[in-house]
Amino acid sequence: MKKLLWLGLFVIVLLLTACSSNEETDGDGKVTLDFWVFGSAGYENLAEQYMKENPDVKINVNFTEMNDLHNNLFTSISAGSGAPDLTMIEISQIAKFLEASDKFYNLYDYGASEVKDLYLDWKWKLAESVDGKFLLGLPTDIGPTAMFYRVDVFEEAGLPTDPEEVAELISTWEDYYEVAKIIKEKTGKLMSDSPELVFNSLRDQAPEQYFNENDELIIETSPYVKEAYDFATKMIQEGYVGQNSLWTPEWGNAMAEGSYATLLAPSWMVANIKGNAPDAVGKWAVTNMPEGAGNWGGSYIAIPKESKYPEEAYAFVKWLVSPENQYVSFINNGLFPSAPEVYEKEDFVNFSDEYFGGQNTAEVFAKAAESVKPIYMGKNYAIVNTELVNALINVATNGSDPQKEWDEAVERIKSQLERQ
Amino acid sequence: MEPERKKGVVFSKVTKKGKPKQDLIAYLFVSPFFILFAIFGLFPILFSFYIAFQKWNGITAMEFNGFQNFVFVLKDPIFWKSLSNTIIIGILGTFPQLIVAIFLAYALNSALIKLKGLYRAAIFMPYVTSTVAVAIIFGILFSSQDFGLMNVILGWMGMEPVAWSTTEWGVKIAISVMVFWRWVGYNTIIYLAGIQAIPEELYEAAKIDGATLWQRIRYVTIPMLRHVIIFTVFLSTIGALQLFTEPLVYLGRSFREEGITVVLYLWRDAFVNNAFGTASATAVILFFIILLFTSLNVKLSNRIGK
Repeated sequence: MKKLLWLGLFVIVLLLTACSSNEETDGDGKVTLDFWVFGSAGYENLAEQYMKENPDVKINVNFTEMNDLHNNLFTSISAGSGAPDLTMIEISQIAKFLEASDKFYNLYDYGASEVKDLYLDWKWKLAESVDGKFLLGLPTDIGPTAMFYRVDVFEEAGLPTDPEEVAELISTWEDYYEVAKIIKEKTGKLMSDSPELVFNSLRDQAPEQYFNENDELIIETSPYVKEAYDFATKMIQEGYVGQNSLWTPEWGNAMAEGSYATLLAPSWMVANIKGNAPDAVGKWAVTNMPEGAGNWGGSYIAIPKESKYPEEAYAFVKWLVSPENQYVSFINNGLFPSAPEVYEKEDFVNFSDEYFGGQNTAEVFAKAAESVKPIYMGKNYAIVNTELVNALINVATNGSDPQKEWDEAVERIKSQLERQ
Repeated sequence: MEPERKKGVVFSKVTKKGKPKQDLIAYLFVSPFFILFAIFGLFPILFSFYIAFQKWNGITAMEFNGFQNFVFVLKDPIFWKSLSNTIIIGILGTFPQLIVAIFLAYALNSALIKLKGLYRAAIFMPYVTSTVAVAIIFGILFSSQDFGLMNVILGWMGMEPVAWSTTEWGVKIAISVMVFWRWVGYNTIIYLAGIQAIPEELYEAAKIDGATLWQRIRYVTIPMLRHVIIFTVFLSTIGALQLFTEPLVYLGRSFREEGITVVLYLWRDAFVNNAFGTASATAVILFFIILLFTSLNVKLSNRIGK
């Protein structure tokens, strides 16, 4: 009888151990660091180099798709098991993970304040707690926004095509609207194909967006987001903006065809343009966004509390995002550096992109990066954004009334926020 | 009869008294299923009933808030919208599919068709295709642009292009067609198996009595298939109420009202907005809705089955 009970217990234990993951054993005295990454950062090459220089550290770079990475990270942190030693976190998710700051090491405890001055101030602040005492991650890349435009469309409309002249021609949103009229008249083409991008550009220039620092929804009282929405819907209703949703096949197609004049987008869009329109060499150029720039995208690297080697992990991160290595990531993978000293480097100053007719695109983005203002996004940013974009798409594709769509979107947003 | 029954009782008593160990061993042998089910099935179910009464974002501590989550969900017009979407898409996607599947199965079984194996495999293919791939392809077919394939075909028929991905019925039709395409083969194969079990003599007798093709289907095939049909209706109802992947991939992360289903609604709450409390409350509500539909099915099928 007793034997059987023991046998039963044995079976249960066996089953349970089969479920839990194996503990890593560092037989040869090496420190093993698991590192979760997304996107095409090229960190595996840099990790390779680091391992050569530091033979007692082993880094496993584990690549996942962006949404999956954040879901996995969230689940493992919530469960208290399975998180890596190092993880990338995208800027739109950083506020959500800041909420769980007790599940991450405070990088200020490891000397992060020493490197603070190397990075753009607004970028750094987004990974800090509101009181400035906790730092979740060190900054990697950023996504300063600019205006891409089709040289051929501008030419056809009899407008200047040189980047500086275009910047002068379209220096305010009012100019943007006027030029849209000219282009429509002369060529019949649209000014932009995506309602979302026009809206994003204005919104990202505002000093405050969806939430204040107490995470209260402010879009009904703060004028900026509504102004961006009204401008975008005005352009849509008058027929200067198309109705493509981002990332759809049609959207990519339009990029290759040049059926519109401008694409308001961040630096990493370069890779998408080249991918979608490989034959349009010399047809795209890039210049300043009217009325300043915003930021869209970019990441941080954080160290979850589960890591047994926070010191080693921090040493690696500090090295990985150092200005020298950000420069390497920029040259090899196009990740735009968040350390302004890179912008002075010789190859950066003399950078030229054949695809954009030999233009120094890096310079345009560097200028944009330095003019970005820090804004508070908040953990519920995505909820608001999704619904406002839905409203814009409804205005564009169904021709519905902008004010009615706005009111309905605000209703939907509130009903999701009250559950938080 | 009498003595035999007594014997049986006596026999079972002997085993119980004599060999208690054997019972235990038997339980031990079946225990892996129950242990795994308890961990991966029962526990999550009970846990979600528990979370349904908490306010929880997945990371910080839970906070009891009574029936508030249910109030949030039941007050939310989008929830009711998602329920009606689910039912409409369920009907659009399921009924035509079951009817077409019967005729396809009948045709596949007929002696006139050559290369039966090939057709059977071809018709079953959609079911084993990845749902995500299907949704992407259909997303392109049902593109809102004028050059989307469906809009081109509408154009040939002299109709205006439809904004499939943003209009009330466009979204529902696109998703229903996806569901139809994917599941019709599955049901056809089940019906085919049922049809093959119908004795040939019945058809012969019907032919001798002068029954037409339609009459043979109506009065021989369908009544003989009754139990198989009830089975597929059961499965389709439950499947339709849990529709998730197709609308998610077709709509992307916009979760548009026109196509949001109940499971998509609760998934958005849990894994996009991190409101696990209301998501669990929705799951509990869905549980009762499925219970309701299933008992309706049981009632109807009991009546039909007799």
